[in-house]
Amino acid sequence: MIFRKKIQRTSVSRNTKYWFFISGLVVFALLTFSYKKAIDITSTDKFCASCHVHPDADRSWKLSTHYNNKSGVVVHCVECHLPPRGQGFFLAKARTGLKDLYGYIFKDTADIDWEMKKLLEYAKKHVYESSCIECHENLYPVTLSVNGGNAHLLYETSKDPVHCLNCHLNVGHYDKHAALHAADSSFGITVTSTGPPFPEAAKVERFEDFTEMIPGTRVSFDMVALPGGKFRMGSGENEPLRNDDEGPVREVTLSPFWIGRTEVTWDEYLAFFRETSSQGRTEGQVVTTGKTDAISGATPPWGAPDQGWGKGARPAITMTWHAASVYCQWLSQVTGKKYRLPTEAEWEYACRGGTETPYFFEGNPKKFTSRGFLKKFIGPDTANIASSVVYMVNSPARTQEPSFVRPNPFGLLNMLGNVAEFCLDYYSADYYAADSVRVNPRGPARGKEHVIRGGSFRSDAKDVRSAARASTRTDAWLVTDPQMPKSIWWYSDCIDVGFRVVCEIDSLKSER
Amino acid sequence: MDIKRRDFIGKAALAGFGVAGAGAVLSACRRKKADNKELGLPPILKGAPRGKKLRAGLVGAGARGTGAAINFISSGPDLEIIALADIFQDKIDACRERFASFNLPIPEENCFAGFDGYKKLMAIPEVDVVLLVTPPRFRPDHFLEAVLTNKHVFMEKPLAVDPVGIRSIITSAKKASAVGLNVVTGTQRRHQEDYIETYRQVASGAIGTITSAKAFWNQDHVWFREREPDWDDMTYMLRNWNNFCWLCGDHILDTHVHNIDVINWFMGKYPERAVGYGGRARRVTGDQYDFFSIDFDYGNGVSSHSMCRQIDSCANATGELIMGTEGYTNCQNTIWDLKGNIKWQFEYPKDENGTPMNQTVIPPYVQEHMHLVHAIRTGEYVNEAEQTALSTLTAIMGRTAAYTGRAVTWDDILKSDMFLGPSKLEFGKVDMVFEAPVPGTPVITTVKPAYKGQII
Repeated sequence: MIFRKKIQRTSVSRNTKYWFFISGLVVFALLTFSYKKAIDITSTDKFCASCHVHPDADRSWKLSTHYNNKSGVVVHCVECHLPPRGQGFFLAKARTGLKDLYGYIFKDTADIDWEMKKLLEYAKKHVYESSCIECHENLYPVTLSVNGGNAHLLYETSKDPVHCLNCHLNVGHYDKHAALHAADSSFGITVTSTGPPFPEAAKVERFEDFTEMIPGTRVSFDMVALPGGKFRMGSGENEPLRNDDEGPVREVTLSPFWIGRTEVTWDEYLAFFRETSSQGRTEGQVVTTGKTDAISGATPPWGAPDQGWGKGARPAITMTWHAASVYCQWLSQVTGKKYRLPTEAEWEYACRGGTETPYFFEGNPKKFTSRGFLKKFIGPDTANIASSVVYMVNSPARTQEPSFVRPNPFGLLNMLGNVAEFCLDYYSADYYAADSVRVNPRGPARGKEHVIRGGSFRSDAKDVRSAARASTRTDAWLVTDPQMPKSIWWYSDCIDVGFRVVCEIDSLKSER
Repeated sequence: MDIKRRDFIGKAALAGFGVAGAGAVLSACRRKKADNKELGLPPILKGAPRGKKLRAGLVGAGARGTGAAINFISSGPDLEIIALADIFQDKIDACRERFASFNLPIPEENCFAGFDGYKKLMAIPEVDVVLLVTPPRFRPDHFLEAVLTNKHVFMEKPLAVDPVGIRSIITSAKKASAVGLNVVTGTQRRHQEDYIETYRQVASGAIGTITSAKAFWNQDHVWFREREPDWDDMTYMLRNWNNFCWLCGDHILDTHVHNIDVINWFMGKYPERAVGYGGRARRVTGDQYDFFSIDFDYGNGVSSHSMCRQIDSCANATGELIMGTEGYTNCQNTIWDLKGNIKWQFEYPKDENGTPMNQTVIPPYVQEHMHLVHAIRTGEYVNEAEQTALSTLTAIMGRTAAYTGRAVTWDDILKSDMFLGPSKLEFGKVDMVFEAPVPGTPVITTVKPAYKGQII
């Protein structure tokens, strides 16, 4: 009834209606035509390249298998960087289009951190899995290898979603360092240093700083003597941007110990790798700690563990916690001292260097952090922090050599940032509240994951505070390892954790 | 946009290996009688349809192999066996003689002895179908070669003896489906009309929701061969393969996998975890157990008790039983209500005197070949490799639980690197020493049984 009344009330002449109809049609046709045209034009490689003016993207695409292949098929920008039509294409196009327009108008391309955008977590945001599968519909071509088969079975059955890019990160933009599909059997074999190898390890007769020498190699590293004593571990309730697992603050007493001035470098780790690496699989083998037993070390890695950033004095990365602790056993054996990973308390004591502030230098996490809406416009404060810590803002998405930063009050480098560091202790979020040990605490008796401390080149400023805690994530860090069971020596999906060593005071007595 | 394709590898597949299952389709099928395709059931055939001549090669020419070859040619018109492969020449000779006696000669140049005989057989372009009927340790390699050489496949259960082999089978199965090669496996209960009709009843809700199950294959001792003086280690183990775990997988795979497969089929899923016992009381040779008792946990309190034994003079029987909220079934032909009254029974065909027989007219061993030939000739695609591989894996999970004494999860076993047997397959001395596994033996991270002792 209401409907009829409405009709009666509208009195538009027949002619007017007619013209409305015709002009409507014309507008509709024009819109449709230009819309289609606009979509097509804005989806060409040329159009993409007109704003994405970093030449590397274009060059690396043309070197990749998605451009440079035997069949001559060229896969265009939008075929990976937008979902297929009918699967959210227009929505995604509108969203990325607006974002690009904003960037084009308001941003200087020189300021964009392209290296950071190449990392897996960023790549996942602008490569659509549905697009991969749109073309690669057969995950089991007849020629697929055994490892490929295992990996694709994992992809189909994994409870945690695995993205195609987890394994195939560089198929769209070539990276000469990516070699995930072959075991790198020559990894770390070349010795670059010259000169005669050290005949024996450092002799330590007094508790003071010394330079350790790995016998039979040219590799040496500095150990700093820390006197021990009392310190306040954890962060107080009023520390900005703290997490709950950092409290309550406890007063902890430590015995004296030595700690590495820097994180264990590739030179140091490769000395171990070369001497102990096992050709075959040794998964599940028990490594004995007795001095007479030969230590069986890591298997050859898959791909490039150094991510192509270079080895030398950069911190060694991607080894598992297990591998790091076997390294310490080996180092103890070849030097006749007692090396191990630091306990969490030793780590924090060494990091703080006597300070009780969020960082070992002056500054407020709230000002340093890049998180938060306002920071998008004003940018974070980098005074003090950028010269002392390799973190998200200054790292260009990779590790740096120790000389990049200033030391902490104990003379230690990269305690915060660069790579997160393994500790000896198991991780437990409520351990500080539960624990009653105040002298040389060693962490929970049992656990699955271990503590890592210090944050890394990927961390925000809030996660490179002295008290900030994190833990290993074994399953997530091995998600794309194609072997079953997965390697106990190398993480396939973690590129920002390493470690530094501690030498026990007992080493003075055990010296031959 | 190809909906089907995306369903195939879309997110749904990420949840894990899924099967329809009687429990799963229950609600959907109450209204009408679901057809075979909808329930994932094979067609029941009186014979394979006519069509292009199919030539088969037999790999593994022992007793079951020769039997399978005969089953194949008797399943329909224009089916031939044209090639044989076996490690041992005497097995080939015996099989060839058998076929010659049927007036179906197999050319000598198509017969290949030795460990790589299968490769030579599959290199023959005229061979359309291969029958893989060797001890299961060799199946993964044979199946992969069949897919690479573009052959349709019949293969006997079990499909492998260890998880490395199982993953190889599953990967090859997916490759086979990508290129349209049909694969039928020897889990014959899935091809038996009585089982199929019982499944249909259960899928339509005849016993309600499944609450528990048991499966049993308890029988007298099986064959074994004592070592002869001129046999080297490898020859002896191959001649006595049914008694060595690396060749046979133990009897929980060899025979009990039939029952385990039926339970998985009716449940519509695979168990999450296994705990069990087993031991070796009377077995004479080899390194295997002669009894197992396994609890397969399907989650939500639903378990299947799986028993198998190969000892004389015991309470021996084989079969399955599945309990539901509204009744129970032997899976084969009968459904009872909760008070024990028969609610439904499969009607077997009658013999010439008009009395019902106790089995179907066409033996399931032939029915499975009819199914394969039907699929090849009509294009109604079939590939049973993955489901049988996963039932074999279920049995491996149970075996490992008994051997180690530990709880073994589906995830553990699916990803295990357990790979049984010598690294190199050749005649001569085998540098492995054998003893039956002892539960409670420390295992570090893998579930590989440690071999020590003598080859007995």
